[in-house]
Amino acid sequence: MTRTPDDRRLDLLQGTLDMLILRTVQWRPQHGHGIGQAILAQSDDLLKVETGSLYPALHRLEKRGWLKSEWGVSEANQRAKYYRLTAAGRTQLSHERDRWSQLVHAIGRVLNPAPAPEE
Amino acid sequence: MRPDDRDLDEEIRGHLAISVKQRIARGEDPDAARRAALMEFGYVPAVRDSMRRVWYGRWFDAAAALGRDMRFALRSLLRAKGLAATVVATLAIGIGANAAIFSVVRGVLLRPLVNRDEDRLIYIRQLAPGIGDDNETFSVPEINDFKSRITTIGAFGDFSTIEFTLVGLGIDPRTVKAGVVGGSFFDVMGLRPVLGRLLDGHDDGPTAAGAVVLTYRFWTTSLKSDPSVIGRIVRLGQRTATVVGVLEPSVPYPADTEIIANVVTSPHHLGATMVTNRLHRMTELFGRLAPGATLDTARAELTAVHTAMMREHPEAYPASARMQLQVAKLRDQIASPARTILLLLLAAAAVVFVIACSNVANLILARSVRREGELAVRAALGAGTGALRRTLLAESLVLCGAGAVVGVALAPALVGVVARYAARLSVRALDVTVDPSVLWVGAGLALAAAVLLAYVPRMPSAFAPAGLGLASGSLRITPGTNRRLRMLATTQIAFSFVLLAGAGMLLSALLALQAARTGYDMRQVLVFDVPTTFTAFGDAKIIAFYQDATRRIAELPGVLGVAGGSATPWRDAGDALRVQFKVEGYQPANGEDDPRGRFRIVAPNFFAVLGVPLLAGRDFSDQDRADADPVVIVSQSVAKRLFPNGDAVNRHLTWTGSIVSLLGPSAAMPRRIVGVVADVDDENVAPGPAMTVYHPFGQLGIGGRLFVHAAGDPYALVPEVTRVIHQMSAEQPVERAATLEDVRAQVLSPDRLNAFVFSGFAGIALLIAVVGVAGVLAFSVSARTREFGVRLAIGSAPRHLLAGVLSEGVVIAAVGIAAGAVGGYALTRVTAAFVGHVELPGVLPVIGAATVLVGAAVGASLIPAARASRVDVLQALRSE
Repeated sequence: MTRTPDDRRLDLLQGTLDMLILRTVQWRPQHGHGIGQAILAQSDDLLKVETGSLYPALHRLEKRGWLKSEWGVSEANQRAKYYRLTAAGRTQLSHERDRWSQLVHAIGRVLNPAPAPEE
Repeated sequence: MRPDDRDLDEEIRGHLAISVKQRIARGEDPDAARRAALMEFGYVPAVRDSMRRVWYGRWFDAAAALGRDMRFALRSLLRAKGLAATVVATLAIGIGANAAIFSVVRGVLLRPLVNRDEDRLIYIRQLAPGIGDDNETFSVPEINDFKSRITTIGAFGDFSTIEFTLVGLGIDPRTVKAGVVGGSFFDVMGLRPVLGRLLDGHDDGPTAAGAVVLTYRFWTTSLKSDPSVIGRIVRLGQRTATVVGVLEPSVPYPADTEIIANVVTSPHHLGATMVTNRLHRMTELFGRLAPGATLDTARAELTAVHTAMMREHPEAYPASARMQLQVAKLRDQIASPARTILLLLLAAAAVVFVIACSNVANLILARSVRREGELAVRAALGAGTGALRRTLLAESLVLCGAGAVVGVALAPALVGVVARYAARLSVRALDVTVDPSVLWVGAGLALAAAVLLAYVPRMPSAFAPAGLGLASGSLRITPGTNRRLRMLATTQIAFSFVLLAGAGMLLSALLALQAARTGYDMRQVLVFDVPTTFTAFGDAKIIAFYQDATRRIAELPGVLGVAGGSATPWRDAGDALRVQFKVEGYQPANGEDDPRGRFRIVAPNFFAVLGVPLLAGRDFSDQDRADADPVVIVSQSVAKRLFPNGDAVNRHLTWTGSIVSLLGPSAAMPRRIVGVVADVDDENVAPGPAMTVYHPFGQLGIGGRLFVHAAGDPYALVPEVTRVIHQMSAEQPVERAATLEDVRAQVLSPDRLNAFVFSGFAGIALLIAVVGVAGVLAFSVSARTREFGVRLAIGSAPRHLLAGVLSEGVVIAAVGIAAGAVGGYALTRVTAAFVGHVELPGVLPVIGAATVLVGAAVGASLIPAARASRVDVLQALRSE
């Protein structure tokens, strides 16, 4: 796996990080390390989430009831905290995806304005 | 469910385990993998804090962090026991002393009296500064005038002090100090009984039955709080009285009496002299303000009436005496003698506290510079300035907390000492106990100190090259740090100098007092109180009693001489009478009053027994009886002042002034001067010219004291003398036997205590300052290890290094002394503006203080200096 240099990595807004986390655990529960790795891998190394952002985000999402945590044993034979998506989290994810699409669309319109309608 | 710290830690550990496992799987070395995983993770505490902050509020987080820091601080302080002990001890003394003094100040100066409505209670005093009398008291006619004319005072209470021989209540017959009061006294004072009742209007007047109230202290100490005392009959001198009640614990003012009786128990109080003679003053006056009146209006009215009185009866108010009134709230009157000294003590304690804090700051500053490496590492790992300050705050909280705890534990003992000392000046101090204000003050001071100290050290500055010094842990001294340390040490020396000079001043004054020659043979003369009830001048029975006693005691083995007298030197100074007199052949200068001298009655042989030399003429003898020629002996200053060229012997002296109007014209008979004796000063403790007129006991018959010149141990004679007297009269009290030396020592004790307490403070300040100087120099030396190593390597002699460090210490001391001298002088100027006259210490105390400080500085510098000269060259050079 090639390592992308730091200056090419993108900065994530807090809200978007929440969304990515919810997405990552959508199908199966995962621990913090795994979530970070998944996001890195799926973004082609462009999105590296520091633990200082990741873990507070996980706990925040858990506090708001969108994630639920439980202890399990990891591949390193050590206890690790696994996070899973709750029903409320599923709904939230869907909302965030919609909002993201709208945002992208809106920004795209600003950057590439549609040609003026024919007279 | 909120995760606690253990859960968060475990979650992080889980993450790291996976990370490490993956790296090992990729082929990394296990140790390298662990380090790399940790580095990749980031600063663990910060991440954990951010996780925790999601669940717990920001403040909770910070508080928990502080708690952790404090536990860590405790562990690291236990490793540096010397420093911790020094700081805790320094703070304990500073906080304890302040809390104790504050307790006493509050108890004496600020606490309200137990008397009902004590705010309305005032005390009135008549002074005669022109003749040096600061409490002339009042006579019954004067009090009656006030009572009839004053409207701003609702009720007056009167109190006079008198001594009775008390017989009864199952205790040995003894002399008690008693107060004789009018019926309104207790009501005006607003006091309550603890048992029985107090005296009231029904006990007034010559026909009432004798009634006595016991004071609380007397009841608890001498009668063991026996509740059956009420209703018992006692004999007071010639009269009997019934015990009607016990007074509540309250401040004994104006005198610390054991019983308080009504007027009828004292025949003297009912006599014509007392009731009609305006000059016969012995009563103290209290008043309760009328509703709507204030202290100022009462004072104005009293002064006006007093002035009118002086105009109406000029013979009772000689112009030269400059008589005037002083009116004050009772509470202030009781506290005022102690006020100055207590505030001074408070100032001294505050100074000691400042010194203590600066010393602690010094030590913590030095320690923090040592920790610069550690702080730099923390900063590099992401700890913000706030977090770093928190670690310092934690440490200073632990230190100051410990110091405060120890200080508060010390405070009760210190309160006891200070209260006993203050009790000599103000009786309120007797009741002072440790009160909760001690705790508040202690905690407050500790907290203030802790916060202050957390901000003293510098944070790792942005300009510090982080690489330097981290690995070796060596010290980097910025010029700023060194300057701060020196300033602190210099400040301590300055304050110590002021305290030392003050203490030196008190000590030298005390030594001067103690060394002063009194004119008596101090150690071998024993004096007894053998009081008899006064009936009349020249009562033959009393004269015979004392003469008989003198004869019998003289026969005891080990007795070189016995004589009777009327007053114990110094101890009876408060009751001393003065007499005005004129002598034939002497004319006072224009406008001058007749001279005044001390009035003493002595038996034959008195001067020989006390070691006072006879300078001219003869001593009294047994021939000087009531039916013989009236004679007197005068002191040297009388003879010198009145007859500088001629002889005073054989001239005739006559009493004049108030004593004649008191006793009638028969008192103004001429008395022949038969002798002149050397001056002695038995009133003030510092000897001064003393005009005294001695009268023969055989003619006037007032005695009360026996002086015994002992060959061996004077105190061995006490039981013998007591036996002899009891053989003559079983009920005769024989009390307070002491050598003249001990009597004087007792009188000197306030001055002694003053000096000792101040010296104590100064000593503590010196100790702390010495530690401060030692700390600064030790620090400076260890910082310059490399420099010393280099200098030794290139051939500098070790003693040059030693001298260099010593001179550094002396310079600090010198600057501190100069600063202290300037500051102290400025301080005396400032306080003189408020307090009035402030004495400057003489040259000797100042020089003495400076010498002590320089010596202490040199002593403190010795160890660091020695260390400097013995620096291991190789190690010094290597510590790069």
